[in-house]
Amino acid sequence: MRLTLQSLISHGRVARRIGLGPESRINILRNILTGLVRHERIETTTGRADEVRFYAEKLIDYAKKGDTDEKAMKMASFWLTEKDLVPKLFKVLAPRFETQSKDYTRMARLPARMNLDRAKMAVLEYKGNPYPPLSPIRKENELTLINQLLKAYREERSQLFAAKA
Amino acid sequence: MAACIQRLDRAIFSIRLLRNVQLHNERSLSTSLHRLALDTEQPSKFTPPVKPVIIDKTQSVASLRKFLSPEFVPPRQRTKPIKFTIERKDMIRRRKVLNIPEFYVGSILAVTMTDPHATGKNNRFVGICIQRGGRGLGATFVLRNIIDNQGVEICYEMYSPRVQQIEVLKLEKRLDDNLMYLRDALPEFCTVDTDMKPQPSSPTGEVPVNKTRVRMLPKPWSKRWERPKYDVKGIRFDLCLSPEQMEHAQKWAQPWVEYDMLKEYDTSKLEEAIYTELQQEAAAATAK
Repeated sequence: MRLTLQSLISHGRVARRIGLGPESRINILRNILTGLVRHERIETTTGRADEVRFYAEKLIDYAKKGDTDEKAMKMASFWLTEKDLVPKLFKVLAPRFETQSKDYTRMARLPARMNLDRAKMAVLEYKGNPYPPLSPIRKENELTLINQLLKAYREERSQLFAAKA
Repeated sequence: MAACIQRLDRAIFSIRLLRNVQLHNERSLSTSLHRLALDTEQPSKFTPPVKPVIIDKTQSVASLRKFLSPEFVPPRQRTKPIKFTIERKDMIRRRKVLNIPEFYVGSILAVTMTDPHATGKNNRFVGICIQRGGRGLGATFVLRNIIDNQGVEICYEMYSPRVQQIEVLKLEKRLDDNLMYLRDALPEFCTVDTDMKPQPSSPTGEVPVNKTRVRMLPKPWSKRWERPKYDVKGIRFDLCLSPEQMEHAQKWAQPWVEYDMLKEYDTSKLEEAIYTELQQEAAAATAK
């Protein structure tokens, strides 16, 4: 194979090369997306998770149009191979993201898959899922010196305002 | 843009008409002028009266057909939008000098271009538009005609300073956006009369769609037009291909492409914004 720079420059192509070809790529992403809609949090390789993220968010945009829309229904029935997930998409996921206009998914990296091929793994989830959060909620420690001083400052200020008023 | 220019043309024509009407009404003035003319010049040939053009004042701007030329819509690229705004300014400047009318693939156009080697320095070519390509100032269109049993295609750049006049002789659409298959069609479908007179078209309402399905020369063709990637609707495949051949062509079908959301490029909002910008520019120009 010619080791030219052209093989590294994508010339504006945004789709990653996954699987055996374009049809295989769409089929793989379709399976991952179906799993994501069913379980709302899945683990895959980093590249596939990044590709599915785009399709997952576009599918939610289509679902927001409502199930009476023909194009939305066709898209949903194509992308979800398990047909019992189509009503879940329209009735559960679309109303959940009604207030948001973008960023319905969250991706976090995981340690590599050591048992098989040491592939970089990532976890992809829809926001608002019922599982415990991916990153633990950081609680500020109130007993540190700075936090104690700040707490005292805030109390003094509120007392001053109360005295003035 | 095209609509505004059409309105301007109509307004100018109506003003000219009114001027003529005034002269005929003031009889004394007209007879004296006529006598003066008879004294000085030869008896003039009979000129038939000008046909009155009925200008429908009930039609408002809103009913005129909304048309945005495709070269104004920027492609999906990583370039900064300022490039497209600057280019659009230049395109509008050129359009103020040269009237580029509304036309579609399948319309019959006549283009006069400067030619240093032609007698009279201009040459005129009449043909059917088979393709509109390019965006911005490099926008092109290809005209095809058959002259002396030889197929001729000329690719014109719309904003080239050599182009003197673009005239639409027949405004219509066809079943496809790209008529490159006319190269492999029978010559009768591409011949256009060079001395064709411009046919009038209404500035409102839908553009007429010419649903002719073309008959082809025997294979081999320049491209395999029966394959689904070309999505040709204007060829009579039933006369030139067998059903087995059509089925064999379907092997190259890619049914997933229709559902691939990555390939979708929604230009509706862009088009609205660009259309309003052009209307504002035209209004500002006419106000001056």
